[in-house]
Amino acid sequence: MSSHDIPRTSGFRTEEQTYQELEKIKKYRDLEDQFYSLTAANNYEYTPDLFQLTTKLLKLNPEYFTAWNVRRRLLISGLLSRSSRGSSRSTALSTSSSSGTTTHSSAALSPSRSTETPPSRESQTPGRPGQNGTTAETDKAGQDTEAKKAAAAENDANVIQSELAFIFPLLKDYPKCYWIWNYRRWILELAIEHLPAATARRIWEEELGLDSMMLTRDRRNYHAWAYRRYLVAKLESAELGGKSMVEEEFDYTTRMTRVDLSNFSAWHNRSKLIPRLLDERRASDVARRAFFDEELGRVKEGLNVGPEDQSLWFYHQFLMSNVTDYVGRATIIPNLDFKDRITYVTTELDEIEELLEDFDDVKWIYEALMEYTLSLQRLQERQLDAAEKERLAVWLGKLRELDPLRNGRWDDVAADCKL
Amino acid sequence: MSEVHEAKDNKLKQLPDELQLATAAHVKYVQSLDTRVTEYGYWMTQHLRLNGVYWGLVALHLLGHPEALPRDETIEFVLSCQKDNGGFAPAPNHDAHMLYTVSAVQILAMVDGFDELERRGKGNGKATVGKYIADLQNRETGTFAGDEWGEEDTRFLYGALNALSLLGLLDLVDVNKAVDYVVACANFDGGYGATPGAESHAAQIWTCVGALAIAGRVDLIDKEKLARWLSERQVANGGFNGRPEKTADVCYSWFVLGSLEIIGRRHWIDGDALVEFILSAQDPEKGGISDRPGDMVDVWHTCFGIAGLSALGYPGLEAVDPRYCMPKSTIRRILGE
Repeated sequence: MSSHDIPRTSGFRTEEQTYQELEKIKKYRDLEDQFYSLTAANNYEYTPDLFQLTTKLLKLNPEYFTAWNVRRRLLISGLLSRSSRGSSRSTALSTSSSSGTTTHSSAALSPSRSTETPPSRESQTPGRPGQNGTTAETDKAGQDTEAKKAAAAENDANVIQSELAFIFPLLKDYPKCYWIWNYRRWILELAIEHLPAATARRIWEEELGLDSMMLTRDRRNYHAWAYRRYLVAKLESAELGGKSMVEEEFDYTTRMTRVDLSNFSAWHNRSKLIPRLLDERRASDVARRAFFDEELGRVKEGLNVGPEDQSLWFYHQFLMSNVTDYVGRATIIPNLDFKDRITYVTTELDEIEELLEDFDDVKWIYEALMEYTLSLQRLQERQLDAAEKERLAVWLGKLRELDPLRNGRWDDVAADCKL
Repeated sequence: MSEVHEAKDNKLKQLPDELQLATAAHVKYVQSLDTRVTEYGYWMTQHLRLNGVYWGLVALHLLGHPEALPRDETIEFVLSCQKDNGGFAPAPNHDAHMLYTVSAVQILAMVDGFDELERRGKGNGKATVGKYIADLQNRETGTFAGDEWGEEDTRFLYGALNALSLLGLLDLVDVNKAVDYVVACANFDGGYGATPGAESHAAQIWTCVGALAIAGRVDLIDKEKLARWLSERQVANGGFNGRPEKTADVCYSWFVLGSLEIIGRRHWIDGDALVEFILSAQDPEKGGISDRPGDMVDVWHTCFGIAGLSALGYPGLEAVDPRYCMPKSTIRRILGE
């Protein structure tokens, strides 16, 4: 229903092609019918048949989110041991309300929970270790608890690893499928809940490697960047005994932008990391300024060879907004003298204008000159002077010539500047 | 009640025949969607069925053929997708999710079917649907999950405000917290992502800007910065991309244009160039619009392509509401604006 990059065809099919298509449909629908009848009948208790059915269906169609949901219910109700580490978001939302360990979010969601997920606690396979954590049962478990816990952890580690392994090829084939990424996150949350902290941490660390691999295959994958931020936040958290990874992640964006200057996703992430990076370095004003200058230098180096790169210009704007838009707003160089702020803007204006010597037909240069001239005027809280107006008129003329798609914008700027 | 764009004396009239909107073909195409049972793709996309009805219906309404899908059968199908918890699944045997619940509400709104929901829906009709949606709000942060499994995304936040406002039940949720959350998703470039910290993305921007518009808080948007970033989505072939350095895709026609319209900057892009791009991606014979010229058509791109044309005032099309991606006449009937 939503296809991308698939060439339009005549739609004509030979008899043989029609036959094959119908066979394919029949095979898929048979699986689906089995799936419906089993899910309708068995209230999501684990059975190997149903579990394998979700595997088959999801391999054919990873967008089939209901099959992912059933798989989660099967893991909770049968394959995984009961968590002994209390309730976390991932399972609290989906286990029955009899657990009595509702978190804030599960409370908010309880209606859907209680109607959609049948209570499965009582149907737990007898003798399965690591039980549901009520006081009575914990006592009953007595001295075997440790051994049972270890066995449970091993079982759960196997289940979790096998789920991650199952998803991996699907993720490679369908790197933009929301449901696969969601399911993978959910499995990772299970690791925290069910496995010893060190094991869980190792799994999460390996996951960061997988994410880097996904970003090597597609440097802009929106899901993979979101996943990376999610992984890092968790790896940094006390939950996984973590510490800040801001330096490593900053280095990662350095590498990614070196490979591809136009990687706006990497520049974006960098812009988000810098405030924390400087805070955690406890950077002095001098250090902050040195950092800022280096960063500005890095962008301009790129612009000097590729001034048509909008990612670089947007990042340049991010840096310069720290100089010009500082009133009532946190910036990465907060204690800059007003005089220095002016100098930064005028220096940038001069250097950008020099770019015109080599590139007089790149609209971004004129746009930057226009923007920073207006920033300077706002910074100094004054009217545009006659010379500035004259220059703005010239740049706007070039913008209309080089970038007529956005003439409405250039008209607005001209009107605002009373040109 | 309807509000149809009148033909203006502009470049559009001079476009060659294959670049005229093939209205009849598009209507037929949408009508044919539920009959394609001999295509594997039909069965692989069951998980989108209710969204598909919404996309198809928006296209038909904007094309001026709201009756092209039978109203009774449409309502019947929507109600057959409702689960006991009040939420809607994409098709009867699937699970409920915010995405389909919003589509269900939008479809019922377009066919004026809220009475049927009151009469025949699960539980207490509209109230039960409203409760399903409201219960998905994270009361600490203000954002929304898609379903019981907890994935959060500004798409779901938008969907919740969209559907609840149509149902007249916005007071079931903490709108201020939702607004704060959207504000926390803003980036240096003026755009918004799916969560705080996420990269700006045209589709996420539309959901965030739409949510703020429905909440009456467009004042919180940095309009200059956002409009600058959005206007740069238009590339040389006239189409829009969703992020810098990506290729143009018809669906972003809507997400970018709808957002620009809400913040009063639609004139910052070249409408005629966009019209040409959208029309060059249509299949003039069999109907439907694709992501870009020469590709397979689908109902998602058909919907957002036509919505884009409507937002540009394409002659003969019903006017579209930029916040809801539904006919203005529907929104006016329901909200009384």
